[in-house]
Amino acid sequence: MMGFLHSAFVIARRDFVATVWSRTFLFFLMGPLLIIGLSFLFGSMSGRMARQDVHATVAVVATQADFEALAAARERLNPGFATRPLPTLLREAPAGDQAAQVRTLLSNPSKRILAVLTGGLERPTLTGAISGEGPVRRQMSLVVDQARQQRALAAAGRAGPPVTLTVVETDRSEGALAATRAITARAGQLLLFMLTVLLAGMLLSNLLEEKSNKIIEVLAAALPIDAIFVGKLGAMLAVSLVGIAVWVGGAVAGLAFLPSQAGSLPEPAVGWPLFILLVLLYYGANYLLLGALFLGIGSQANSVREVQTLSMPVTVGQMLIFLLASFAVGAFNSPLGLGAAIFPFSSPLTMVARAAQTAELWPHLPALAWQALWVWLTVALSARLFRRNVLKSGGGSGAMLRRIKKT
Amino acid sequence: MSSGLAIEARGLFKAFDGKTAVDGIDLAVPEGSIYGILGPNGAGKTTTLRMLLGIIDPDRGERSLLGCARPLEVASQVGYLPEERGLYPAMTARESVAFMGALRGLPLGVGRARAEELLKANGLADYVDKPIRSLSKGMAQTVQLFGTIVHRPKLIVLDEPFSGLDAINQGRLEHLIRDEAAGGATIIFSTHVIAHAERLCERIAIIAGGKVRFEGSVAEARDRLRPQVRLRTRVAEGPWRAALPEGAHHEDGLWSFELPEVGIEPLLKALIDAGAGIEDLSIERPGLHDAFVAIAGEQAARDLATSAAEGDPR
Repeated sequence: MMGFLHSAFVIARRDFVATVWSRTFLFFLMGPLLIIGLSFLFGSMSGRMARQDVHATVAVVATQADFEALAAARERLNPGFATRPLPTLLREAPAGDQAAQVRTLLSNPSKRILAVLTGGLERPTLTGAISGEGPVRRQMSLVVDQARQQRALAAAGRAGPPVTLTVVETDRSEGALAATRAITARAGQLLLFMLTVLLAGMLLSNLLEEKSNKIIEVLAAALPIDAIFVGKLGAMLAVSLVGIAVWVGGAVAGLAFLPSQAGSLPEPAVGWPLFILLVLLYYGANYLLLGALFLGIGSQANSVREVQTLSMPVTVGQMLIFLLASFAVGAFNSPLGLGAAIFPFSSPLTMVARAAQTAELWPHLPALAWQALWVWLTVALSARLFRRNVLKSGGGSGAMLRRIKKT
Repeated sequence: MSSGLAIEARGLFKAFDGKTAVDGIDLAVPEGSIYGILGPNGAGKTTTLRMLLGIIDPDRGERSLLGCARPLEVASQVGYLPEERGLYPAMTARESVAFMGALRGLPLGVGRARAEELLKANGLADYVDKPIRSLSKGMAQTVQLFGTIVHRPKLIVLDEPFSGLDAINQGRLEHLIRDEAAGGATIIFSTHVIAHAERLCERIAIIAGGKVRFEGSVAEARDRLRPQVRLRTRVAEGPWRAALPEGAHHEDGLWSFELPEVGIEPLLKALIDAGAGIEDLSIERPGLHDAFVAIAGEQAARDLATSAAEGDPR
């Protein structure tokens, strides 16, 4: 018998060449561009929507003096509310029947007024379709309060310009690092998760193609099923590494043209070189674990529809695992954090975040060994399932679930 | 397991979902022979071959391939053409043959060179670098067959190799099987077409209902039946009829019956003395079809005929 690794290599070489030379691979390479494009599109759309949402207008039925005090207070406070600006103020001169004026203003479709402030600075009343404890009431309270204080200070002859705070910038502070490393941790988790999902899907399609082309029997007659699985996993891992190399190359080239944007991701706790190495190792473990699981599923299915039926719970499971690993960020020694690090399918995502946030290196060794053990177990189990449930005469596709149950 | 046998199996048993597919099969395929497994669809031929090759494991029983109990350990000396043909549609003919060789341990470069030789020698020179998807079904099947033998295996296992081939390609395949056997390879193939087994095989196994009903040479199978005597007499009725053996039947003017154990001479003398007036006499050795009916039964023979009609494009 050819060596196990050589057998796996024969399969991996075929799959790698077939994948890299296919048109689908171009789409795979363009995947990040698509994600970036969509993120930009949705970001811009949601930004616009957010601006539209929060750009509330409040009509102020007050004297010119009161309105000017309120407008000045708003101008002073507004820079502190970048994500949710203070309501725009619109002066309305008081009319005879105040209640009728308020009703008219609120029902005017062209002015689109959210609420009406009456009673000046002394007895301010906000009327409108707003919550009593909502942000508009709170923001307007601040504006009125600021206007009153400024008026009181002016009356006492102590009004002055806004304070200019002197800032001394330092390279780092622990507080800032803790906050910014969480960004690196989550970015690492997201990268691993996205890549793994993408690759596992490709792997599944590949196995299904072989089953539909009926090549699998030729392979199974010549090589151990475990070697076929390992070869397929290895090929897709190599394909993804080619993809990553292309993307990183593209990103570096892109950053060369945009030097001001370089290095915007905060440095991880273990330092960039080790972090990149750990990301690659955990990515490999995560992909191999999930890929082996998907191969096991693919071996049970006879059609794309069956794969979809079977992989749906796995996809939901993946999302839950991602959430579990996300909750563990910053709380690695809590029961939840330890559980997420021990559970094999969330372990890589949790540990990559740990590498971003804590400088300790030793926990990565047992974690990687633990994950390698589970990769082996999953591959062996998937191969066993495959051998037991496929390549038998009769049965038909309807028998698939029975076969799984039996196994 | 004894030497001198390319394949030996004892008591192979396999059930799927509680349904028995193969029920205690024994096989002994001598090295260098052409061996046929004959049986209708669903008889257990494919499951037997898959167990012999180690693609699936038997529930019970032992198997030995080229003297090895673990078939994958001798995979580099075995070639296998499955019943359900399969190739990568985007791969070229040359790469397909070379890849199948590589699966069996043949270096890719050597495989490519041999693939080109095989394809060119068999009228497929124009298709060497054409993707499989552009080939006809028959051509693709031929390419897969070349992939089965490109690494020059000692044992070639073919599951329904004639299925889907036209008459010309069936003839070519028969030639190829004989050539490989002449080169020293052992060939075992399954079929539900008696004529192929009868023309090619030195030994056969007749399988029906998951059991081996007969295992031996084609001649031995035919010898299971006594030769048939066909007799035409000038006189239709007479005392000579008492001389005919029990079981003789008359149809289309001919009497048919099994050749008596004592030979034809005493019977002829009795018929002549009784005035039958012998007009025509022939003694025919039974064909494999008759032997199959006698061994496996009428139902199995009908199933075999149905399988052949479904599988034969002619």
